[in-house]
Amino acid sequence: MREKEFDIVIVGSGAGGGTVAQELAPLCKDGVRIAVLEWGPKLREEEFTGREVEMANRLYFDGGGFLNRDRSMTFAFARAYGGSTVVYTGTSLTIRPETVNRWGVPGLFASDLVERSQKHLRSNNVHLLEPDKINDNNRLFHDACKKLGYMVEQFPINVKGCQGSGMCNLGCPNAAKQGTHRVQLPAAEAAGVTVVTNCKVERIDDHAVVATVANPPFGHASAWEAGEYRIQAKVVVVSAGAINSPALLLRSRLPARLPALGRYFTCHPALILVAQHDRQITNYNGHPKSYYCDQFTESKKFLLETCMYFPFVTAKNLAGFGEEHASLVTRMDTLQMILVLAIDAARRENRITIDGAGNPVIDYKLTPVVLDSLYESMKVCARIFFAAGAARVHAPAGRKFLIEASEQGKLDDLIVREELKPGKVSITSAHLMGGCRMGAGPETSVTDIWGQVHGVPWLFVADASLFPAAAEINPYITIMSLADRVAERIRTRAADLLRK
Amino acid sequence: MSDSSRPFLLVLAHRFVPASSTLDADGERRFLGIIEEFLASRPALVRRQIGLFLGVLRWLPALRHGRPLDALPSADQDAALRRFQDHWFPLFRKGFWGVKTLVYMGYYGRPEAAESFRYRPSKSGNASLHA
Repeated sequence: MREKEFDIVIVGSGAGGGTVAQELAPLCKDGVRIAVLEWGPKLREEEFTGREVEMANRLYFDGGGFLNRDRSMTFAFARAYGGSTVVYTGTSLTIRPETVNRWGVPGLFASDLVERSQKHLRSNNVHLLEPDKINDNNRLFHDACKKLGYMVEQFPINVKGCQGSGMCNLGCPNAAKQGTHRVQLPAAEAAGVTVVTNCKVERIDDHAVVATVANPPFGHASAWEAGEYRIQAKVVVVSAGAINSPALLLRSRLPARLPALGRYFTCHPALILVAQHDRQITNYNGHPKSYYCDQFTESKKFLLETCMYFPFVTAKNLAGFGEEHASLVTRMDTLQMILVLAIDAARRENRITIDGAGNPVIDYKLTPVVLDSLYESMKVCARIFFAAGAARVHAPAGRKFLIEASEQGKLDDLIVREELKPGKVSITSAHLMGGCRMGAGPETSVTDIWGQVHGVPWLFVADASLFPAAAEINPYITIMSLADRVAERIRTRAADLLRK
Repeated sequence: MSDSSRPFLLVLAHRFVPASSTLDADGERRFLGIIEEFLASRPALVRRQIGLFLGVLRWLPALRHGRPLDALPSADQDAALRRFQDHWFPLFRKGFWGVKTLVYMGYYGRPEAAESFRYRPSKSGNASLHA
């Protein structure tokens, strides 16, 4: 096993790790040695092909189809230089003060997160897309929500030179999305931070991590030769995401009792809902996600967003098969789509564990409350689709595969709660949160409000696993804000933490 | 994937995506290749579970019909598959969804076929918005 030594090791390079790397990078000029260890590859620009299955296999864990233990849901999360910021749509919302208040973490204030969010909105070129770049799929949603009297807002997004490929979730082929792979990591590297890709951290030891470098047959080769490494570090920051951060801590021998580790995992369980127009609409061209509707966030615990997915993902998210199924998927140019996100409660029993080989296992149960929210959302979305002029709507919990516009007065009869059966209806998730939640003490949390693991002063967490409960919005700016706090704490304690 | 799984997956594909019955030999190889490439990177336990469930899908209908699924008329195959989709036993529904998803991956995941789904993405998609 080869030996390496750094002052600070950051595990993961997504919204959390990338932010910490950039924020700590100024320390490099004082001789502080910082390394970012990223499991995934750094793809060459020409490798962002936009081919659905190929890119999913290159960038996502289990090709985007990671399953929970009871096989009722899939979870999409990425590994790459830039982590999941490579594959999201760039939506950049600031967390709502009422959500932070609901979190109820003593000493964590909405005003602080909002202020830090502003900094990251500026650095990531976040802005509203110009009206002439909004496609029919988005515009129809906006106009229908307005018609129905629902609140609808435009997403601020972090793009620069967006060409509207619509391939955000497969990695932007135009280098337009300002994820950490475009902003924070290059800045950190320019300041002297070492980024090592294709490097999986196996476990954390006392002031050290053990990692394996292995290059896949794509992307740039890692900065380090293939093999096993033991990397000594005075500070370790874990930013591997809400699945892999708890899993890494669980398979490490930490000198602390952490009964909340892995627990209180939340994920915004999601449905992709589809309707068909009798005419072509612009949908897969243009940015896919321009609007959201939070009319029902408080009352029915779901959020609606525009979306547009690719043929295979579209196919797998429809209930049913055969001719009727093909009648939708073979007319991609007529489809309108809405993404539903259920606001799920943080429950102690929803947790990340590890199997005998140390791989993460997600124990997540869909509660009746979440299923009720998803059921209600189908009826609301059907109304939006029909108000937008759709000819027919597919409700996964429908008594029939397609509900025609002429039947829109009978939605309560045609969409039924009993048909919302896990397994039959495809439920997914892309906002993975909790597992190393921050809080006041070790019985109910894993870290303090600055991301330091309780009882381990040299070990920090900086990613969505810190969330005490669901973000209730797209989380990446909030992840950056929390990571910003972690970096600030390390900087202010640098003299103590980095002492020889 | 076992030698018996491949033709059975094609039988399922014909029920899930009727147009798959028009695939030529190259198309079938491509369809199966995408699925096999995906499965190759999954843990051995997952591959075994899928293999096992393909066996359940094939032989459970024999209890009702006296013949395996692939020996039934198309209408009976569809009816049997719908019973799996709506089954009271959650594991059957979930297994069915998993197999169906593999078939959709193999069929709709072929970029060379995208045109036939009326899916013509472009890196410069904005240029098409006001065409």
